[in-house]
Amino acid sequence: MIKGKLPFGNARRSGQHRQLDAEGDPGIPAARTSPRPLFSDASAAPESSAWHAEPAVPFAEPEGGKQGGPPQWAPIVVDEPIVDFEPKPPTTNSYRPDTVFDGWSSEYLTVRLASVRGYSHRYSGLPRQDDAVVEFHRGSGAVLFAVADGVSSARQSDVGASTACMTAIATMRRQLDTGRGMDLTYVAEDAARSLTAQAAQMLDQDQVTAAAVEELLATTLVAGYIAPSADGCGGAIIQIGDSSAWILAQDRFYPMLEQKNDPHAEFISSAVSPLPRIPEHLAAVEFSLCSGDALLIGTDGFGDPLGDGEGKVGYLFAENLRRPPPGRGLAHLLDFSRDTFDDDRTLVAVWPRPPKPGVTK
Amino acid sequence: MPDTKGHLLPVYILADESASMTICAQELNAGLVSLFEALRAEPMVAAKVRLSILGFSDDVEVRLSLADLRNEEGVPSLKIRNITDYGAAFEDLLTRIPSDIGRLKNSGYLVHRPAVFFLSDGQPSKSGWLEPYGRLTNKATTAAAPNIIACGVGSAKAETILQVATKDEFAFMSKDGADIGVAIAKFFVALTASVVQSGRSLTSANPELVVEKPEGFHMAIDVV
Repeated sequence: MIKGKLPFGNARRSGQHRQLDAEGDPGIPAARTSPRPLFSDASAAPESSAWHAEPAVPFAEPEGGKQGGPPQWAPIVVDEPIVDFEPKPPTTNSYRPDTVFDGWSSEYLTVRLASVRGYSHRYSGLPRQDDAVVEFHRGSGAVLFAVADGVSSARQSDVGASTACMTAIATMRRQLDTGRGMDLTYVAEDAARSLTAQAAQMLDQDQVTAAAVEELLATTLVAGYIAPSADGCGGAIIQIGDSSAWILAQDRFYPMLEQKNDPHAEFISSAVSPLPRIPEHLAAVEFSLCSGDALLIGTDGFGDPLGDGEGKVGYLFAENLRRPPPGRGLAHLLDFSRDTFDDDRTLVAVWPRPPKPGVTK
Repeated sequence: MPDTKGHLLPVYILADESASMTICAQELNAGLVSLFEALRAEPMVAAKVRLSILGFSDDVEVRLSLADLRNEEGVPSLKIRNITDYGAAFEDLLTRIPSDIGRLKNSGYLVHRPAVFFLSDGQPSKSGWLEPYGRLTNKATTAAAPNIIACGVGSAKAETILQVATKDEFAFMSKDGADIGVAIAKFFVALTASVVQSGRSLTSANPELVVEKPEGFHMAIDVV
């Protein structure tokens, strides 16, 4: 699935994965087969037939909680839930909704996006510092995507995340429009420049130092594109900081980019190296996507609880992303409640659409 | 790979229970109460902390072990005893911390490097403590080597507190008359938040725990 040299060794081609399965790879864990409805009322499940989850893992039954509405509106609880509370309003200089979601299909690709404010930020009255943008480029048929996670220590990292996403998308759009090919390193550099310009405006200064930009707007960024091709679809992606991307193939998650936490490391760390800093060795990773697979781009609020994808959160998402859920369904899924995982969560998911009979790309 | 249940920060309070602490025992225990109250008021933070409270004197006595404060009803008390044996304290951590880390990992958690808050009002009664201290803080010999934040109160000497802290910026001396309990509570809240929220270690290739100077304390390096 991944073309070219990868920055680390645990991404695998889905074709290879399937072959390994045939040769004895453990494949999908057997624990993922026993029936138990994720939604307590099947008639109230979202309308998409993709919502067919029958998890083996005993999630706590959703409760109506203190909020109104049917119980299935409550957050999906994974293992131990986060304490129940009413969110505080975010303190921002501009409107910053708690949750955003989006969803549509082009002829060849289906896209879903969701970004939800973390429980910690809801509890403390901070805004959602994640953001994401997706755009369909009609000329090429490509889907452009950008996901950003404002660094919590930066004073207005929510603005930084939005600025980085919008700039990345605009730069990719321009590159496609001019027909000179995509240069994702330039896209990242352009996002860094836009943060500097934004910081200068916000601080009302002609020039600002990199440190000042970082203190105000530091953010991670994963940006790239996916487009239909003669043999499926493929694209490229670039990463600054600890947001990441995966390919979901046959219920398993294959990291495409550097992962934040090595599960075998003695200890974990929360540190990131975000924009406006540009890594010395920055290179795009190319990939191709098979029919039935999904490309996932997410912040660490999704990546941390996902881990290597073999746990309960991995199961939840693998079960429910085999096919595209409704956009609002992805938002609900992403807003699951699990103790200690309280960061903002953002996820963009892209599926190739099944080819129409007799139609060639 | 088992399911990851969460990310935890193991925190140890290593408090001097020697006889000379008698005059400030009430303040230290009040400090523990303040710490508990502060963390209970922040359940998102408390969820990610596992707190141990160890009293040291001739030996180490466990007042609380790897506790999730959301599940604790009471606040343990430190009990004044005899001498100030730093060596006994660090020998205890040499076995306790790796064992605790193993327990947490086996329970399905990913773990941040532990933080030890060392509190003392005076000089060590015995020499030789630097040897176990050296083994404890050497990552080559102890993979779970903790970050040690040393707080000196009363007649503690800044030079000694600096030796105990794993970084100069982790060594603090309280100002005379300061409310130690409030200061310690703020210190713990700042520490926990800095680790869990990715802190300020943005520019470091080898990120480390960042600790802010608690209100009511001097940097020990400024006192020496």
